[in-house]
Amino acid sequence: MNAPVYLDYAATTPVDPRVAAVMAQCLTLQGAFGNAGSGHAFGDTAGAVVESARQQVAAAVGALPAEVIFTSGATEANNLSIFGVANYYRSQGQHIVTVRTEHKAVLDPCRELERRGWRVTYLAPRPDGMVDPAQVAAALRADTVLVCVMHVNNEIGVIQDVAAIAAVCARHGAARLHVDAAQSAGKCALDFAAFGCDLMSLSAHKVYGPKGVGALLVSQRRGVRLEALHHGGGQERGLRSGTLPTHQVAGMGAAFRLAQESAGTEGARAALLRQRLWQGLSALGGVLRNGAEANSVPQILNASFADVEGESLLALVWPHIAVSAGAACTSAVREPSYVLRALGRDDRLAESSLRFSLGRFTEERDIDVAVAAVAQALTRLRKIGGA
Amino acid sequence: MNYSNLTQRYFDAAAALAGVLTGPGTGRGAAGSRAHGTWVQFDLRVDPGEARSIQAARFLAYACPHTIAAAAWMAEAAVGRSARAAAPDSAQGLRERFAIPVEKLGRLLIVEDAWNAAIKACTGSTAG
Repeated sequence: MNAPVYLDYAATTPVDPRVAAVMAQCLTLQGAFGNAGSGHAFGDTAGAVVESARQQVAAAVGALPAEVIFTSGATEANNLSIFGVANYYRSQGQHIVTVRTEHKAVLDPCRELERRGWRVTYLAPRPDGMVDPAQVAAALRADTVLVCVMHVNNEIGVIQDVAAIAAVCARHGAARLHVDAAQSAGKCALDFAAFGCDLMSLSAHKVYGPKGVGALLVSQRRGVRLEALHHGGGQERGLRSGTLPTHQVAGMGAAFRLAQESAGTEGARAALLRQRLWQGLSALGGVLRNGAEANSVPQILNASFADVEGESLLALVWPHIAVSAGAACTSAVREPSYVLRALGRDDRLAESSLRFSLGRFTEERDIDVAVAAVAQALTRLRKIGGA
Repeated sequence: MNYSNLTQRYFDAAAALAGVLTGPGTGRGAAGSRAHGTWVQFDLRVDPGEARSIQAARFLAYACPHTIAAAAWMAEAAVGRSARAAAPDSAQGLRERFAIPVEKLGRLLIVEDAWNAAIKACTGSTAG
């Protein structure tokens, strides 16, 4: 039996061979293996690699190099942003605004702050997944110090209008906007300065870079301050102490450079593939698309399949295609996606949803395999279910 | 999720055992609901003689692979048994037979309820 076709690029991407080659140059005695903080030649070499990577990341996302704080990934970046802002500005207020469809890496820190006495407003998106900037404006209070809205939703791919939301926050004056952009790089336009965000989280492994590295952008133009979560060494402007993993950072820089160079062509190609996928799936009947098609990245398609039970659907398609399910397996019994439920999908349709996420190495024949696998599964399960 | 070999075998074979029966001597029983995630239906054809043996059985299920496999096995195991005898297996027995997580015992009770309802429809009384 053939290996399943990989259509889960929103979960993680394989490292691009060109990125791996850059990383390999930072590991051995002949390469830039030194500690970037050391004052000798080996440290200088590693330091130059790190600063080059910082410039590459900054250039790809419209930020200043000095605004890039390398972290272990987007989850740490989100935590640093949320707790860092909360700890620094708590004397100004203890209210946060966020959205029910945010990633757990944002929601869980917010819940932790609630346990510490903070107030959090969780906005409900529209059924298409979009958040109206007016909702944000209505939720702001005099004691609001932070607004967290993700750019591209990881489950349904919708792109929030963060520039408009940033403008709302700017009018408020004291509400800083944190944007989780872990899914954005290489998939859609991403411009930290033009958007007017205060803070932004990035991830390398969603964009053909390595796992274990990400970044938090902290706006210098807007004078944002944070309280550090890690102490010891003072690296990254004192906001993220710890020896920088040169090979990881170099890999992230190379990955973001490649994403910037190829975003246009890859986006157009992905759009054609997704159209082919949707045409094939929608012809099967009882297929409902999740999320606003018009405001979504071309790499992600989320659909619910009526009249089939979610776990059985997965059991039949997973041998053929690696996709994400609309339910989380926290035990033997699955929990429907909170994102899809927030859009108003009932539990059954949320459970029977699949997220197809396409990427740099997806080909037309992969799409055809996916459509055939889903078609076969639906036919069998609808027969067994008498639908 | 990992499934036992038996679960996988009956889940794979389920479509061949799925369906409905009509005509004289046929009884139908169902339990659970699609809205709540698990629904199972059995159709049994019982001979009109004293033995009341089950001549044919079919099932339908909107359910997880464990539950589908268990219902398919019940339909297959039913043929030739007396409708007055106990069910081919209990919910707990199915759980052990198919190595089904205990969290899913409630779904197997739905299989058992559907079976009992079908037997009652055929014979006017519950099995065994």
